Amino acid sequence: MDQNQGQRRGHFHRGRRGSDRRGLDRRTQPAPQPERGGGNPVDVEQIMREIRGRIAQRQGIELSNQQIQDLAARRLESILDPRAVKPSLLEAMRRTAGAQAQRAAEKVPNEPAFSFEDTTIYDSHRGLMRFIRRLLNPLLKLFFNPNPLIRALHIQAKLNVEAAERDAERDRRQTEWNALHYEIVQRLVTEVSRASLELQALSLRIESLDAKVEFNERRVRAMEGSAHRARPQGGPVRPAEPQPAAAVSNVEAEPAPQADTQTPAAAEGAPTSEGARRRRRRRRGRRSGMGPGDGQPMSGGQRPEPAPAEGETRFAAPPPEQLPDTGIVESPPVPYEQAAAPASLEHPAPMPPEHPAPFEHPVPTAFEPPVQAPPPVVEYTPIVATEPEPAPASTREAPGAPEPPQPAPDPERHEY
Amino acid sequence: MNLAIVVQRYGADISGGAELHARYIAELLSPRVKVRVLTTCARDHLTWKNEFPAGESQVNGVPVERFPVDRERSIRDFGIRSRRVFTRYHSLQEELDWLDSEGPVSAGLIARLQRSAAEFDWVVLFSVRYHHAYFGARAVPGRAVLVPTAEREPALALAIFQPIFRGVRAIMYNSPEERAAIHGLAHNEDVPGVVVGIGSMIPQVADAARARAAFNLSRPFVLYVGRIEENKGCAELFDYFLRYLEFSRRELDLILIGTPAMPIPPHPRIKHLGFVSDQDKFDVLAAAEALVMPSYFESLSMVALEAWALGRPVLANGRCDVLRGQCVRSNAGLYYENAGDFAAALERLLDDTALAEAMGRNGADYFQRHYSWPVIERKYMDMFERLAATPHQKSMEPLPGWFARRRPAVPAALDLLASLPSGPARLDQPAEVHA
Repeated sequence: MDQNQGQRRGHFHRGRRGSDRRGLDRRTQPAPQPERGGGNPVDVEQIMREIRGRIAQRQGIELSNQQIQDLAARRLESILDPRAVKPSLLEAMRRTAGAQAQRAAEKVPNEPAFSFEDTTIYDSHRGLMRFIRRLLNPLLKLFFNPNPLIRALHIQAKLNVEAAERDAERDRRQTEWNALHYEIVQRLVTEVSRASLELQALSLRIESLDAKVEFNERRVRAMEGSAHRARPQGGPVRPAEPQPAAAVSNVEAEPAPQADTQTPAAAEGAPTSEGARRRRRRRRGRRSGMGPGDGQPMSGGQRPEPAPAEGETRFAAPPPEQLPDTGIVESPPVPYEQAAAPASLEHPAPMPPEHPAPFEHPVPTAFEPPVQAPPPVVEYTPIVATEPEPAPASTREAPGAPEPPQPAPDPERHEY
Repeated sequence: MNLAIVVQRYGADISGGAELHARYIAELLSPRVKVRVLTTCARDHLTWKNEFPAGESQVNGVPVERFPVDRERSIRDFGIRSRRVFTRYHSLQEELDWLDSEGPVSAGLIARLQRSAAEFDWVVLFSVRYHHAYFGARAVPGRAVLVPTAEREPALALAIFQPIFRGVRAIMYNSPEERAAIHGLAHNEDVPGVVVGIGSMIPQVADAARARAAFNLSRPFVLYVGRIEENKGCAELFDYFLRYLEFSRRELDLILIGTPAMPIPPHPRIKHLGFVSDQDKFDVLAAAEALVMPSYFESLSMVALEAWALGRPVLANGRCDVLRGQCVRSNAGLYYENAGDFAAALERLLDDTALAEAMGRNGADYFQRHYSWPVIERKYMDMFERLAATPHQKSMEPLPGWFARRRPAVPAALDLLASLPSGPARLDQPAEVHA
């Protein structure tokens, strides 16, 4: 596992290899410092805001917290069965979740606390009456013993007070528990909503990656087939072999001036043809790399595409003299302005030397329409460092010609 | 001027933060004033077992007096008492019992301080949460200068410490966040205080290539230096780093330096170098892409300052106010609060070399401005001169009586801590001496 990890390279490693990625050497030869303006070029808080913003984008959730909470509230209402739950219960809970605790704490017992002491039964608001009762108290005790009565009533008074306090405390706790339960349920539903949104975004990403894998497998098969066809026939140049009709339809709209047997219907991209299906798959594969954060460093920093390091093999067509002798006529790289001929859809075209083919970086562009005829003339679009364009098909290739040989893949690069 | 420095442990091979802090201050000030260190015979901060011989000795030219610890710490008893005072309503007596349980209890050390009325002009007490600092401050309140080294932890909020914060002559804070927390708890704004912190013995040359060769560090790496334990956030660091490796596939190692107190995940990208010399530590630090500080509780991260002194950026735990505040004030480090933040911030530091370089320069500048030795020394000497010029007027609040100490009326320390203001202190807050 570790050895494999040591050889695998993420997409953000392209162009930074060997000593270029070593910390010490990088520090001894620092990259040019961008002008950030001001006396203090770094604002950590601003950087953290950018990072967190990009995390939110990469997760595919572009909703605000308030929107997610609204969504969660709707889901909570949809969970509750209106036949089993009183419709106003949720609203009442929501309304009273915060306010009941205070009200319960301030709740006054219905009955006033009544204390019963040993003098209570002899008490009176008239002083004379109190005196007479105290005077006659020994006489009264000759008839019955009032002490058990006094004690019982005293205990009962205390029990009443304690019961009232317990009741108030229980009500307060119950209210707090209700508020807590409501809060927990609400947060749970919010988190479930957030998780489902993430799941949705991840599902879309898996779909796009699936299409990308399928496209790559097709490319690998095509390369292997090309090599397989070319190997036993090395030597002299041999003419292009005729291809079946399905392959003939796999050309771009503008016909080549020579050896093009494409019919007008095929040139318009008939949806049932094999070529159209392949184009769709190729577009899907291309789009799969266009999602946010795909094909870019995860931090999303302004990292320009670095020049290939010394000795690095880019996934662009090598010079013809370095290609293996396959016995196949290789079309030289053609500038985009002259690339009016249809190109092979299976292989990217070699780029002009000043623009190495950005094959590793899928292009973050808008979605293309599902099925459209390609433009008749491929215009050359200058490639900027921050927004590389896809490698447009530029090789002029006769229909039916075998696939051009590809350079040997970099053993350290596993993504294609 | 005669100065006593009182600290729980002391020695050239003791690497705890407050202990190292005390040693640096003693060695820094010894050429200017007459310094004597009073400490215990303990080496291990968990047990306080007497390991050094009692009596006088010298450490790097500084005279040291050691006093035996009366009893070792019982971790179980300390845990029980901690839970009680941190989480429940309790009494002051329970807090005092907690302090006894925490230790290091050394009656000889406290008696030595009480006898030193005419000997020392100022007594600098380190680490308020320990027994020696609390009773030392009560023994010499008129000459006590406190270096709290307090983290945002429950012990800081115990009620017994509030009279100490209000009664000492001065407080040397480690960070604006520490000062804000103590002000919030004790309302001691009238006590002279200054944010000082501490510098570090940065070597003239840190040889990154030597470290790479010596420790076989062929791949880029991020570094953690310190005790490897859960309290320092290492479990979370391992979790976040392994989750980062799952999707990044970057050739990046996590290098650990320090004594492990928890199992280290057996992963080929995580390497533990053990306890290394200071020169090795600085060499490895110079070779690192960044320093990672996962700790939740720090009063001042000396390792982060060392990384900044060497021009390396820092990736810190953003839930530690002090670390986050240092990153924000210095503009020399990023911070994280979850695994996503960790991965994205790490990627940003590794991808954007210009940013990492700029942060390194900011860090070096921040270290020079605030934590170089001349700055530290000037702040200490200014404080001593200011105190000498100002007569002592307040007296330390006495402990309540027998019954009052046993009344369970003190709220849980965690509740008090939660009520404190949090977050990094802003740059516009004053950091100078309060009159």
